[in-house]
Amino acid sequence: MNRLFRVSIGAAGLASLLLALGCTNLDENPPSLITPGNFFRNAAEVQAGLAGVYAQLRTIAPEGNIYDVSEITTDEEVVPTRGSDWYDNGQWIDLHNMTWTPTSAATSNFFNGVWNNPYQGVANTNLFLAAIQNANIAGKAALIAEARVLRAYYYYVLMDFFGGVAIDTTTSVALEARNTRREVFDFIEAQLLAARPDLPATRPQSESGRVTQGVVDAILANMYLNAGVFTKDGAAGGISGTAYNSCSGITVSGGDACTQAIARATSVINSGNYKLADSFPQSFRYDNAASQENIFVVKFIPADGLGMGDVMSVLHYSQFNPTPWNGFAMLAQTYQTFDPADKRRQVVLQGPQVNVDPQAANFNQPVNDRAGNPLVFTESIPDIHSATEGEGPRIYKWPADPAHVQQNNGNDYALFRLGEMYLIKAEAELASGDAASALVDLNTLRARTDPVAAPLVGTVDQTTILNERLFELLGEGKRRQDLIRFGQYTGRDDSASGIAGGKVSQGDFHVLMPIPQAQIDANPKLVQNPGY
Amino acid sequence: MRVIRHVIPVLITGLLCTARLCAQDSNGAIGGKVTDGTTQQPIADVTIAITGTSHSVLSKSDGTFLLSGLGSGVQHVRVTRIGYSPVTQDVTVNAGGVTSVDFAMQPQAAILDPVVATGYGRQRREAITGSVSTVDATSANKGVKTNVDQLLQGRAAGVEVTQNGGEPGSGVQVLIRGGSSLSASNDPLYVVDGVPINNVQTEPDATGIGGAPALARNPLNLLNPSDIASITVLKDASATAIYGSRASNGVVLIETKQGQAGANGPSFEYDGYAATSSPLRRLDVLNGAEYRTFVQDQVTKGNLPSSHLAALGPANTNWEDAITRAAVSHSHNLAFNGGSEDTHYRVSLNYAKEQGVTLSSALERIQGRISATHSDLDNRLRIGVNVTTSRVNNTYLTYEGGFGGFEGGVFQNVATFNPTQPITVTDSTGTHYYEIGGTSTRNPVALANQITNLGQTNRTLANSSVEFDLRPGLTARVNVGLDHANGQRQEYYPAANPVGVALGGGLARVAGLDNSTQTFQSQLNYQTTFGDRNSVDFVGGYEYSKFKDNSVTAQGIGFFTDAFSFNNLNAAQTRTDYSYAEESRLVSFFGRANFGYQDRVFVTGVLRYDGSSKFAVGHKWAAFPGLSASWNLKQESFMQNTPFSDFKIRLGWGLQGNPGVGPYTSLITLAGSTGATYPFGDSPQGGVLAASNGNPNLKWEQTSQVDGAIDFGIFHNRVSGSIEYYHKNTKDLLLTITVPQPALQPTQLLNVGKLSGHGLEAALDAVVVSKPGLIWRAGLVFAADRTVVDELTAPGAFIETGSVSGQGQSNQFSERLMPGQPIGTFFGPVFTGWDAQGHQLFKCTSATPGCTNGQTVGGGGPSAADYQVIGHANPDFTLGVHSDATWGRFDISFLVRAAVGQDVFNNTALVYSTKSDALQDKNFLRPALTDPTGIHEPAIFSSRWVEGASFVRLQNITVGYDLNLPVLTRSARNARIYVSADNLFLLTGYSGLDPEVFTEGGLGTLGEDYLTYPRPRTITGGLRLTF
Repeated sequence: MNRLFRVSIGAAGLASLLLALGCTNLDENPPSLITPGNFFRNAAEVQAGLAGVYAQLRTIAPEGNIYDVSEITTDEEVVPTRGSDWYDNGQWIDLHNMTWTPTSAATSNFFNGVWNNPYQGVANTNLFLAAIQNANIAGKAALIAEARVLRAYYYYVLMDFFGGVAIDTTTSVALEARNTRREVFDFIEAQLLAARPDLPATRPQSESGRVTQGVVDAILANMYLNAGVFTKDGAAGGISGTAYNSCSGITVSGGDACTQAIARATSVINSGNYKLADSFPQSFRYDNAASQENIFVVKFIPADGLGMGDVMSVLHYSQFNPTPWNGFAMLAQTYQTFDPADKRRQVVLQGPQVNVDPQAANFNQPVNDRAGNPLVFTESIPDIHSATEGEGPRIYKWPADPAHVQQNNGNDYALFRLGEMYLIKAEAELASGDAASALVDLNTLRARTDPVAAPLVGTVDQTTILNERLFELLGEGKRRQDLIRFGQYTGRDDSASGIAGGKVSQGDFHVLMPIPQAQIDANPKLVQNPGY
Repeated sequence: MRVIRHVIPVLITGLLCTARLCAQDSNGAIGGKVTDGTTQQPIADVTIAITGTSHSVLSKSDGTFLLSGLGSGVQHVRVTRIGYSPVTQDVTVNAGGVTSVDFAMQPQAAILDPVVATGYGRQRREAITGSVSTVDATSANKGVKTNVDQLLQGRAAGVEVTQNGGEPGSGVQVLIRGGSSLSASNDPLYVVDGVPINNVQTEPDATGIGGAPALARNPLNLLNPSDIASITVLKDASATAIYGSRASNGVVLIETKQGQAGANGPSFEYDGYAATSSPLRRLDVLNGAEYRTFVQDQVTKGNLPSSHLAALGPANTNWEDAITRAAVSHSHNLAFNGGSEDTHYRVSLNYAKEQGVTLSSALERIQGRISATHSDLDNRLRIGVNVTTSRVNNTYLTYEGGFGGFEGGVFQNVATFNPTQPITVTDSTGTHYYEIGGTSTRNPVALANQITNLGQTNRTLANSSVEFDLRPGLTARVNVGLDHANGQRQEYYPAANPVGVALGGGLARVAGLDNSTQTFQSQLNYQTTFGDRNSVDFVGGYEYSKFKDNSVTAQGIGFFTDAFSFNNLNAAQTRTDYSYAEESRLVSFFGRANFGYQDRVFVTGVLRYDGSSKFAVGHKWAAFPGLSASWNLKQESFMQNTPFSDFKIRLGWGLQGNPGVGPYTSLITLAGSTGATYPFGDSPQGGVLAASNGNPNLKWEQTSQVDGAIDFGIFHNRVSGSIEYYHKNTKDLLLTITVPQPALQPTQLLNVGKLSGHGLEAALDAVVVSKPGLIWRAGLVFAADRTVVDELTAPGAFIETGSVSGQGQSNQFSERLMPGQPIGTFFGPVFTGWDAQGHQLFKCTSATPGCTNGQTVGGGGPSAADYQVIGHANPDFTLGVHSDATWGRFDISFLVRAAVGQDVFNNTALVYSTKSDALQDKNFLRPALTDPTGIHEPAIFSSRWVEGASFVRLQNITVGYDLNLPVLTRSARNARIYVSADNLFLLTGYSGLDPEVFTEGGLGTLGEDYLTYPRPRTITGGLRLTF
């Protein structure tokens, strides 16, 4: 008995020793996640990877930091503190008043997002492009071209806000120094030009929203128009804070930037693939996927997490369900720039208000504010630090989708549409000395099937162009770029809108955003933009 | 474990039989009686042993003993019992005779077991070289105790236990020596009966609708405090190094009660209590009349439009009263205990029900436990089995913790819901809850009553061990443990409630979470003594643990009736389902050697080699050494004529790790999610995006610690104590920080930065009075810890933590981690006062635009450039004072806890002490009535809201009476009744609900107070009967 026990204990001891030696495998195989090593093996998996790269585009649409900075740093929109709402560490006023520093509230939230969001798009594209090399699928060249255009666009956003950034096409996380803005500009241009031949001119409806040759042309047209800004490293690098920064005289691939801007815009206009929408609102409605005017869009559908949520920041609490946040308002001065007869002003909510939710029982019925008085959006905001809930007009360009799911609406958000191509062409023509052609293009834009405004007469000048861009592109995230190009970004003064505590003239170096200090801490090779 | 305690002497015997002692003729004996030196009463169960041998015997109930089979000559006799100072005496044994000796024992200050659990074994208290605190579970288990952590409160120096509120069974934050990590876990490792417990959440999170989800309950609610025999806390690195990678936050060893073969046969024990609780403090909001007067006054002054008068109702509702209640709790334990000489067992059953002091919050536990031990082959083979299984039913108050977000939480609405409005109204359609409508303004009583939020956990903890003496002194042991928890969460937000409407017409959600841990341990122990009281104790072994968890969640939105609640998701208009699974493994080799020289000097060396699957390839393995020594000066001749009855110096050093990160964090992983989905055409194309950057260099967070201590006893240990100093350095901190772009994610888990801390701990115990009929013991624990961030990513870099909660507070942070500053440093604007218009003013420098005379102007608000350090969340020191007295048949005990010098950010006051709430017809806290803040002034975080939060709390006071009624004593061996009060009073200058705050988000955030669940004051009556 004793011996038997001893033998069995000995055997058990030996067994546990063997178990000990056998159980030292520490490899990880995640059951509910994928690793790049075991993915991108077939067309469906590649398609899923591509969808992820596209999904980053949503960070550029309203409700994202990039949109907030494009709008709120300008005279289009302001987010005043409304009692105990919207103070938020002072970030909204820091953003609007251009008082930001590398560590201030606007930087740590908004600019950090503007830095990270497109860079994440770049990194995911790099990962996709590395992985697709190993995939054995048909149509690889077109997929690679498509991803490269998206990556070029993410770089375009970075270049627009921060100037020169590090160009990286690898998948490793590394400390890299900044390239010059010109180098980034040339990189984007080269990538777009190289990708274009592999892309289709049009897509079937089932692929709408995906990149075409028209997308390449539209981005290039915009870049060439902005070449007087995009090729210079901030105010210190030659961008004027007070005068027009012309594309004329800047050399890009193919010659003079203005000439190339006209060529690219014309290429889109004459492609036959696009046409101006019959009426102005058509390009913004929930069904605007059918609009032939939109060239490059952020696609939205009314589904949880996949829709446009602009309604939330713009509308008053009682105008929509779920309850909006009642924040973003338009400045009086900008509102008053519009000709009241211009149909494009109708995208602004001002005066007595109704419920705009097509699913609500009281749709289109007047609504009250929280104190029980009829809700009226005033034209002016007397004090940026102490606004009431009804103060300020609202830019409501993407009206609610009757099929919205919570705040998710199906309106696509156009990054480029045909209307802007006419504006680019007109501006580049004026910069090249051809004011007559510019007038023709501007009037083409006004003369839709349902004309938006009376034709312009007389001589087109820079003010005409800038105003026409405001009327046409209000709320579309273009104003910051426009004001910088026209030398009016940093000098703008809110006192014209009668808003106390608003923006006053700031240093010209603000044409470039500060690189958030947290990013410099993470990568000491980054050199801060001058002035900060 | 008791098995081992029995075994050690036997082992030693076996070994020594090969040595000289057994070779002699053993025909002498010692006999006599042991009495209490104070009461002169006989003492039973005293161990009388011959030092350095296996000879030992227990005294009988009349105090007599006979220790026979001794060799002739002088023998070192050692007499020990818990609660008494040990007695040693040299006795001359004559061959063939019985030497008569009587011993009188003196009560000792600290009630300490002479044998201490040290991890993978036990050691005599004298041989301990590391820093170890022991808590006697019986004396700590007073009042309503739901879990093990509560037993540690105020009783172990350097162990800070903060419950996350007054909710039944709520989670706790346990910090041993201030913690050692910023973002990885700071929880200690819990080891129950030798098996490390994976201390993770057992119930799935609730929905985070418009805010953070409700806090999870404490995973250790599984264990019934009445089943716990002792708790040992290993604090310094030399003691914890045996647990290696999981030890950097300390180790809590829990030993459960085991069966005993009683002299009078099996025993049966009943232990039960009933308790009633009510909130200790309240939010101070305006009542209906005050609010009405305020609004009318503001309208008269023209500060509010007259339309606000219409929002005033006819009622006067105290919303806090409406959601709180006098809660009733009760608990019943039955234990059955017995066995033969070779086989012991203990079976226990517990039922406990604890009601929360708010509506719709409760905990119910049904728990059973069996433990059995058996020895065979002349006690060379020992088998033990422990099985604990429990069912915990939780009822959660929706949005507990107050995190209501935009949809509005219960506590948020207690603070803001219009007090002039009634709870219910009756109209033609019947009686229903009054609702105002509008964002985040919801009737809190309706929220509490209408929304269902339930959780259940079934958890089984089992282990089985086999020990075999291969040869005398050499023991092989195999221990297999299984821990399986299955938790469910069920929620329904009915369409009858406006939150349910806002969520899409009723939202039902059912979630399941399954956690399992399998542990296998094999080890060899070798113990021997030689020469003049020299000893060697060696442990070596292997441990393998596999952790698995998976979760399934199903959610439905849009129900045509509330009748289904969460029981028919098929009826929903839209469904969303999620699932995930993960697994990790930990493999370890460990060894420990303890050498003792003449019971004077002890040296312990520890080495553990751990491999974790969670780290990057090439960084999975690491070694964790520890070295410590103690010198018992009392044995030295120069200490003989001092009042010191004990004097020991200890020194230790060790390395520990922290693997408190999730699996797969070193890998680049791609996840399919809504965020990666994109419409191609008008239909969504499922996509993948990188979920993490991965980190091919991810490795352990490593803490090194040195510890120096003095343990002393004076006057036969009537006063005893210890003073310890430690210094620790953590490097390679696991931090999720901003990563150079382009990167797949903005942040990456990296090993960067350093933390260092040092601290002082002291414990003092004394027998204050000891005379016939009265014995009074009192003790004190003191701890002071200073932990400072030494280094982050870059010089001057900081990490913002402590998000401020509430309306208008997005992207506002209240704390910063900065090199040179402690964790929990409040950072923000300095409040200087108000201007005539009621604008808050802040300190500024002339360099800031709009700065005049060092103050901001008008409503300009503070500028980030002027932020500075405005407070520290760490106490200067903490104190626990406990006292136990027995007077005749009465016993009385109390525990007082205090923390001094810390600040708390009163986030509740920031957000709700603002008159501008009235612009939205919302109530506010009373102090705002009298402060000069304007009605349009936003709530701005500043030094104004960072308050001193020192406190003294009477944690518990208990009075018991030993019944000696003939009707009972005929059958019962023991009967005791008691009355106990928890949280009877709180002394503090802090204006919020409670100065002791629990903060989510790891160590990086401390001292944030936002709408916590009120802590109750509880009165308990209980009865204990032993048959």
